[in-house]
Amino acid sequence: MQIRLYRNCQVEQEGEVWFALVKFVSARNKDESNQRLCRTNRTNNTMGATASKLPKDQLSEYQELTFLTKQEILLAHKRFNELLEREDRQQIGGSRVPMNKILTLPELKSNPFRRRICQVFSTSDLRDGSLSFEDFLDLLSAFSDSATLEIKSHYAFRIFDFDDDGTLDTGDLEKLVNCLTGEMDNTRLTSEEMKQLINNILEESDIDKDGTVNLSEFQHVISRSPDFVSSFKIVL
Amino acid sequence: MKVPVVTRWGSWRIHQSKAFRRFREDAKDVLAKLALWRKTIHKIGGHFGGGVQSYFLFLRFLVILNLLSFLLMASFVIIPSIVFNTVSFSGSSSIDSLPSVNMTGKEECLRYDPNPEALTVFYTYFLDLLSGTGFMEYSYMFYGFYNNTLVISSGFSYNIPLAYLLTAAFYFLFCLACIIVRSVRCSHRLQLKHTVLVPSGYSMLIFTGWDYGLQGERATQLKQNNLLYQLQVDLEEERIKQKAASLTLTQTVGLYSFRIFLHLVVLAMIVGAFFGIAAATQFSQVSIVGLLLEYLPSIVMTTSNFVVPFMCDQVARFEKYSPSVTIILALLRAVILRLVSLAVLLYSLWKQITCDGDVNTGKCTPCSYNSEQYQCWETRVGQEMYKLTLFDFLITIAMLVLVEFPRRFVVDNCSCKLVQWVGRQEFLVPSNILALVYGQTVVWAGALFCPLLPIINTIKFIIIFYCKKGTLFQNCRPALRTFRSTSSNFFFFLVLLIGLMLASVVLIYSVAIIHPSYDCGPFRFSETMWLVVPNTFHSLSNTTQEFLFYAGSQAFSIPLFIFSWSEGRDKQFLVKQIKEIAALSKEEQEPQQPPRSQAQWNGAPHWGGQHNPAFDPDTGMMTQPRAFFPDEFENPGLHYREE
Repeated sequence: MQIRLYRNCQVEQEGEVWFALVKFVSARNKDESNQRLCRTNRTNNTMGATASKLPKDQLSEYQELTFLTKQEILLAHKRFNELLEREDRQQIGGSRVPMNKILTLPELKSNPFRRRICQVFSTSDLRDGSLSFEDFLDLLSAFSDSATLEIKSHYAFRIFDFDDDGTLDTGDLEKLVNCLTGEMDNTRLTSEEMKQLINNILEESDIDKDGTVNLSEFQHVISRSPDFVSSFKIVL
Repeated sequence: MKVPVVTRWGSWRIHQSKAFRRFREDAKDVLAKLALWRKTIHKIGGHFGGGVQSYFLFLRFLVILNLLSFLLMASFVIIPSIVFNTVSFSGSSSIDSLPSVNMTGKEECLRYDPNPEALTVFYTYFLDLLSGTGFMEYSYMFYGFYNNTLVISSGFSYNIPLAYLLTAAFYFLFCLACIIVRSVRCSHRLQLKHTVLVPSGYSMLIFTGWDYGLQGERATQLKQNNLLYQLQVDLEEERIKQKAASLTLTQTVGLYSFRIFLHLVVLAMIVGAFFGIAAATQFSQVSIVGLLLEYLPSIVMTTSNFVVPFMCDQVARFEKYSPSVTIILALLRAVILRLVSLAVLLYSLWKQITCDGDVNTGKCTPCSYNSEQYQCWETRVGQEMYKLTLFDFLITIAMLVLVEFPRRFVVDNCSCKLVQWVGRQEFLVPSNILALVYGQTVVWAGALFCPLLPIINTIKFIIIFYCKKGTLFQNCRPALRTFRSTSSNFFFFLVLLIGLMLASVVLIYSVAIIHPSYDCGPFRFSETMWLVVPNTFHSLSNTTQEFLFYAGSQAFSIPLFIFSWSEGRDKQFLVKQIKEIAALSKEEQEPQQPPRSQAQWNGAPHWGGQHNPAFDPDTGMMTQPRAFFPDEFENPGLHYREE
């Protein structure tokens, strides 16, 4: 089973492909190469978790690899179980929960970015936003208390990048602002206000003046905000 | 690893400061849990936002202030009066301290007769309740009922006039202290929030503005409304600034002269309201016939408080200021209107009582006040304040019942366009808070003359709390324009302070200058109310007099004041100073060690990325006093990315 590892991950951007280098601190892993890809293609083979309880070694492995505590992982396991269909509950390892079920969680139900969050963390080949248990743990880990600013700003950037092209251009910013103010007609800015706002945003944050905000410019803005880390938090 | 050396006294101070801090936090927790209406106010904040919540917090503060003031008054003035009136002490005397006024030739001043006729129709009780006359006039309610009793019983003496005066003075000082403490707390929060990084204002708001922990439709919508309003206001201000910068000279001059003209129009409206109030007061005092005339000042004041701000709002549309300036101007005008109209009413009362300030002319000759109209002028002033309070309360309830509830019924059931455009009521925070400030100022101005007014006000505010809460949840929609509560909170406490100043002018004037009535009240035998204090002072023994003189003198009180003020400051500051002094003294004693290079020391425990030399081996110096206060380190999570 290939487990996604992103604790102690240094995330860098290379073109349009996301690579990550992992430095393994855990002594348990006797693997020769300490370099592993953070995001790998999911294989469909499932591992041990045939019972609906989480086995101890897997629990500690998850603890190693995410920012979550034992309690949080167990709670996540329980909540994920409730979302699964009855017949899938035995094999929690490989089953995916469709997006519409994930969005019934109260923590995500009224979040304006809920769909983007599901799509960003989903590793499904069908790009339908469905999450496996490990995708779910990924999500909770990035939004947890102990995740670093780098991880959070990285994922925030990906969530705001609506067209997945690696930069925040005018269309992305417009959709972002509309999410923030509300989807109803009477809660949107007028088109002049939107143009003025986007001009201001690009003036403030677009340092290389290419008309888009890339990851480093985004992180530059984020680093000056004292409460981004505490507001980018979802706890079950 | 060597632990840094601390002196025993230093460690005791540290321990004390930690224990004190812990105790303070625990006390704050307990107090917060016991706070009145905590759950309700929390619920209001969740549903309607911080602005509306600040109104209810302000109201709760005033309720508690009034209740404590009433307890003060009751324990020192009202209950002793009741006790002394009903129980006769053996060996007591109700002799005044020093008859300092010659009573011959003042027969016209002694005609006070508040007792009603024997046979009264039953509805006069109701009328008396509304206007404070009749059975209410000669009761513990008003100043006129209290006597200048001086009780000297075995080893115990109580001087009612002195108690009355000192309680009133202490009441004002207590209110002043409470308001200052609250407004200082507000301004601290204000300063924290004002660390605005202007260059990246918009992008910061858009990228980091959302709180992902919000749950529920309502909270989300509220936040979205907040963000929308903030964006709209900021963008509009920017547009207006750009427009203003791009006007030609003639256009600018034209705009400014038009604005000055509109300011004059608003000023004329406000001054017109003042004249109306002054005329109404004068007219109502001359002929007290019928309830309507008695309430004429209150009616005129309430009407002007409704009409004039509405007209000013219409005028403000043409002034073309930016939204924040418009709001500030509207608030300022409303404040000036309310407080100055109250001042005008008090001034016209004063004019009539003291015959325009000239106490030796016309009607004021024998008694130094207008005894023809006012046999007991203090009770009359108290009655006026009582009427203002009552009327304000009745109008608030009437507005709720006759306007807000029907409006909601009409909007919910009638679907015509006009009605839907008007829509449901919006809870306007500034005008509601100004109404509270006005009510409280009236109570302060009248407390000297009507000792039961604080408790009446407490009951009034409690009823208003529940009524406003009811109307908020039933009739109001969440505001489209949410109110920025942090800076405005401080402003409202400032306005409350101005109201207190106004009331204290009334107090000082009545106590020190106007002659008390001859036939009623505890001060009936002195020249002024204030004279009771020097008289009592002189009747104390000589040693007590000298001690009090010394305590009040500058040589003693100023050092005491400074010492207590500095003691109360943050204990950490003192500990820091001590540390630094100790460090300096240690440096002088021990020889300088050669500085260790960073390369030799790799595995040092890093506190948040800062190198802490306190944990370096073999250095006996305590150069970093911050080692003991880890919360002073910067947040390690943020690091600046160099491009």
